[in-house]
Amino acid sequence: MSGAVVEVVPRKRPRSRKAKPSTAEPAQAPAASGDRPARLPYLLDLYPAESPAQTRLAPFFDGLREGRFLTTRCRKDGRVLWPPRIVCPTCHTSDLEWVDLPQTGRIYAFSAILAGAPSGLEGELPRVVGLVELDGSPLRIFGRIQGVEWAACRIGMRVRIEPFELPDGRAYYAFRVVS
Amino acid sequence: MSGSREVAVVGGGLTKFGVRGVTWAELAQEAGEVLFRSVPNLRAADVDSLFVGAAEPERFAFQSHVAPLVAEQMGLAPHRIVQRNELACASGQSAIRSAYAAIRAGLSDVAVAVGVEKMNLPDMAEANSAMACVLDRPWDAAHGLTAPPFFAMVAQRHMLEHGTTEEQLAAVSEKNHRFANANPVAQFYEKRFDREKLLRLPMVAPPLRLGDCSSMTDGAGAVVLAAEERVREFTDVPAWIRGSGQYADFHNLANMASLTDWTGLTRASREAFRSAGIGPGDVDLAELHDCFSISEVIEYEAIGFCGPGEGGQFAADGRSGLGGDVVVNPRGGLLGCGHPLGATGIAQAVEVSDQFAHRVDPARQVPDPEWAMVHNLSGSANVHSLMVYERGG
Ligand SMILES: [Zn+2]
Repeated sequence: MSGAVVEVVPRKRPRSRKAKPSTAEPAQAPAASGDRPARLPYLLDLYPAESPAQTRLAPFFDGLREGRFLTTRCRKDGRVLWPPRIVCPTCHTSDLEWVDLPQTGRIYAFSAILAGAPSGLEGELPRVVGLVELDGSPLRIFGRIQGVEWAACRIGMRVRIEPFELPDGRAYYAFRVVS
Repeated sequence: MSGSREVAVVGGGLTKFGVRGVTWAELAQEAGEVLFRSVPNLRAADVDSLFVGAAEPERFAFQSHVAPLVAEQMGLAPHRIVQRNELACASGQSAIRSAYAAIRAGLSDVAVAVGVEKMNLPDMAEANSAMACVLDRPWDAAHGLTAPPFFAMVAQRHMLEHGTTEEQLAAVSEKNHRFANANPVAQFYEKRFDREKLLRLPMVAPPLRLGDCSSMTDGAGAVVLAAEERVREFTDVPAWIRGSGQYADFHNLANMASLTDWTGLTRASREAFRSAGIGPGDVDLAELHDCFSISEVIEYEAIGFCGPGEGGQFAADGRSGLGGDVVVNPRGGLLGCGHPLGATGIAQAVEVSDQFAHRVDPARQVPDPEWAMVHNLSGSANVHSLMVYERGG
């Protein structure tokens, strides 16, 4: 990773559908058999904890709710860090700032999960995933790729970040192919 | 107390690898049975230290603090050092490395390194979650990343950058499955896979098919390591540990410099060769971490058995088989034997010991091997662990 400064992109308007607060109570397991609970047991839940009571990276998730894709930059050496951090691994300072990452990029490598899904994703196969080179950034970020069948997916396809809301109100993100 | 005495693996044994109707603790008992059968002069009282390689007993068996559990199951009472080693897919080698360091430092004289993993669960989605959390869980695995799609992207880039083909990947898998057909403990001992059959198997994560991927496997094993003064009590053919190297850098995929140029492995193998005083051309037998067919291809390149980008052709030309430049994975590899995480590194060391002593099926016996290299990667190839062995006699 180089220390190149990431281009700051303009803020998007907040999405009209406001995500529920991230401190929402875990939903009860539904009575109907075969349905997934809104949240897996904590130690099977792959998604990150995001409330301010649980993490100092809560602004990242708040940013997703506002249509922003943020990470941290070290104020001392200017490095843009991924994933976001609270201490720079080079300078060992907590003097970091939140910056916007580019929300568009190109697929650098991809595959598809056709079998072997972790708990909670069994019903979501096939799932296209890949590494995306963000425009104007040295960062290559991994994520789910929406909006394309795996057989039609190609290296170099353009994608953009797409925040989404988990059933329990937490925010997360994927990539979506744009034409 | 000597600060630099020599250390050898003096023998060991393995349980049957596969989908086993046994519990985690029962696998540890089986490891004790095969260990004392394989090293007949070993008495429990000889063992002063115990190192247990186990990647995820909390997730696969809902059991922590497994070092004393293993001691009880195997009938051992270690009184110098007792610990568990966790390094995901390299946990078994990690246990051996710790035993080696302890003996070399004079803190242990005779140590046992054990590997146990029980990966087949009633709900395999839970086992897949266990594999997912080896990676950067909140930032990579939350998108669905597990090992197959990661190594699939590695294969895709290697194909793009170097022209590697599905047929070349199948050549790796065919070789290792053929060796596994001569190894009774292998998960696929009785399953035949030729190249044509491998290329018809279903995709798991394109471009990787089922035969390109190692399995979820239950298995265990144990080896004995001894200080030079004690070695002759146990064997006439010690496998002397002459060198080692290890390297760790990134964890999140964004911080991996290259999917296809594994610089961490190049660094670790250079250190292993330097400390042993040999080079790639001296290695007769290499146990390389073929968790996926593409892994073995890149490992040839990064260690220096062939040039960059040449790994696929190296396999297709038979240069990693019997009679080739270096015999890679005569045990059957992870592809043929299965990959019970903590037990894999132990199984590789057992293979080196058995190959040096000419104790294996002639169909996979390397002719008079003198130098062996063992490699494990773990996680997303972000850690590489290597050891170099020389045959004693
Ligand atoms: Zn810094």
